[in-house]
Amino acid sequence: MDHKYIEKMLSKMDEDLSKNGMSRRDAMKLAGVTGAGMFMGGTTDAFAAEEKVVKSNAKGKIVIVGGGLAGMSTAARLTLNLTNPDITVIEPQELSVSYQPGQTLVGGGLWDEDDIAYKRDDFIPDGVKIIKEKAILFNPQENKLTTEKGTVVSYDYLILATGLHLDFERIKGLEDAGRAMSAGDNERLLKALGDDGICSIYTAKGATKTWEQMQKYIAQAKSGKKTKFLFTHPSTPVKCGGAPKKIMYLTNARLKEAGARENAELTFYPNGGAMFGVPEYHDAILGQFKREDFKWHYRHNLIEVDKENKIAVFDAKWQEKGPWDPVMKDFEVIPKHEKVRVPYDFLHITPPQLAPREIAESDLGSAKGWVPVNKETLQHIRYENVFSLGDVAQVPMGKTGGSARKQYKVVVDNLIALMNNKKLEAKYAGYTVCPLITDIGTVMLAEFDWTVKPTPSFPLDPTVERWMWWLMKIYALKPMTIYGMLSGRA
Amino acid sequence: MQIEFELVTYDEELDKFELDETIYQMELSEDDAETYHLLKDSDLHLYNWLKESGFFTKYIKEEVYPESENKKIAISDINGISFRRFYFFKVTSGDSHYEYFKKLFDIHEESDWQDREDVGEEILQCLSTKRKELILELS
Repeated sequence: MDHKYIEKMLSKMDEDLSKNGMSRRDAMKLAGVTGAGMFMGGTTDAFAAEEKVVKSNAKGKIVIVGGGLAGMSTAARLTLNLTNPDITVIEPQELSVSYQPGQTLVGGGLWDEDDIAYKRDDFIPDGVKIIKEKAILFNPQENKLTTEKGTVVSYDYLILATGLHLDFERIKGLEDAGRAMSAGDNERLLKALGDDGICSIYTAKGATKTWEQMQKYIAQAKSGKKTKFLFTHPSTPVKCGGAPKKIMYLTNARLKEAGARENAELTFYPNGGAMFGVPEYHDAILGQFKREDFKWHYRHNLIEVDKENKIAVFDAKWQEKGPWDPVMKDFEVIPKHEKVRVPYDFLHITPPQLAPREIAESDLGSAKGWVPVNKETLQHIRYENVFSLGDVAQVPMGKTGGSARKQYKVVVDNLIALMNNKKLEAKYAGYTVCPLITDIGTVMLAEFDWTVKPTPSFPLDPTVERWMWWLMKIYALKPMTIYGMLSGRA
Repeated sequence: MQIEFELVTYDEELDKFELDETIYQMELSEDDAETYHLLKDSDLHLYNWLKESGFFTKYIKEEVYPESENKKIAISDINGISFRRFYFFKVTSGDSHYEYFKKLFDIHEESDWQDREDVGEEILQCLSTKRKELILELS
């Protein structure tokens, strides 16, 4: 880890704690966690310490497509675990390793874009080759791929960590936005969203714009005008499923701070029929929504934005009891749809998300586009020398930095096992973490896995919003990610 | 001990199942009755045991479809334990069938975004493979 950065972070945290009359030690006691490990990665599973590594002599040319958090961490860990690694990362985006979980904080005006921007070239592990081009053609039968500049790259082992695309163009009225990725200038997207209340924290630039728009409409509410704030959640898997709600909570906090809350109506329109897939967290969030006087309408999917008239159009879905099925001896369930038009002042869009076209349309993609892998070993279901992790992998509930943090170690262990002709024994168990910001100063640390039950790393009620988790989110997670995970150790 | 069972016939060309609509009865030997009792709480184990049992296929070939070489059939009910959902599941089928298949096929419904239709399509995809395992070809 970068000790200078950590010292700076700890001193900032101490400052924050002392404002509340506490020392760091007191804070840790309050959290029920002993030792410094809580913030720096020592004592719990969630913050595992550095491990002793026995290097493998396994040989083979490894190509990693995607140099974001998942890809670059994998590259780093492979260099730590192989004696003579031959690794190439293919990544065209200069800011590919930027800290995406911070986009919510940028959108809420707590951080600046500069706080989350990190350069790919500063995180290329020693000895790893980089091709600054985009891979566009995959030929897994011949273990080759081709970049947009025509460079043909062959490999023995391939790791797909391309991330996903934000499919704004699927929404009628935003066709000009095209598809976007989190990093990059995203000029086309920003132009399509305009300056009249539509925003999205799902890109770094968009997060800055979200803060600008939020301030504008908070000022409107403060002036006494009734102001409608809408927040959406689409009908596709999304990265960080908590983010659509986090930005709503931060908007609420900023409205309260400005003394403008009473003129604002905040409404959440999720495509699904629950606040969260884990019942315990669903119940907790529902309680928070009631407490904060939020409104919500389940099973509403944003399909159109009428920018001129400031109307969001949703496909609203419900089910009706159908006819008796004499063969199945049960009543059928008939899905119903209708278009619902909702006026807005401020509209935060969580865009539909999908695998990059070049993956989805290749032999490496599944019918749904994502890379079909064994969800435990993360090995491709058809090509045994291919692995995938991060947002592009077809893994349930796996599109968060916290999931990638578990997955990259599994991929490294299993790839080395394969290179050594051994059984793939490392398994991903579906761990995901969502530090759900519920206010400026509180976070509910939602940890869970495929058991769809809370799996807290700390001996505390995970459904309780805590200031301690806020401190962790603000001060500890970024250095842990940037200097711990990207070094292949944490 | 006696068991009651019902069958479906499979039309390969149309890739469609049809209920036979006759309730058949068959006597089990003491040993087979014991096996039946051991497996009756695990529907697919019970199914596979019966499907693989020589006495069962012999009975079908001799008593139920004596002149139907290469006919493809499957069992739809065994003593009130229904397997019909495997052959007749639709996206509009009731919730209990969804729950059954989500568990069987290890489908994690991410209820904060996922549509019922989407899960239903995934179940149908899994069923296209599973059905092949259940079909019994009468040689």
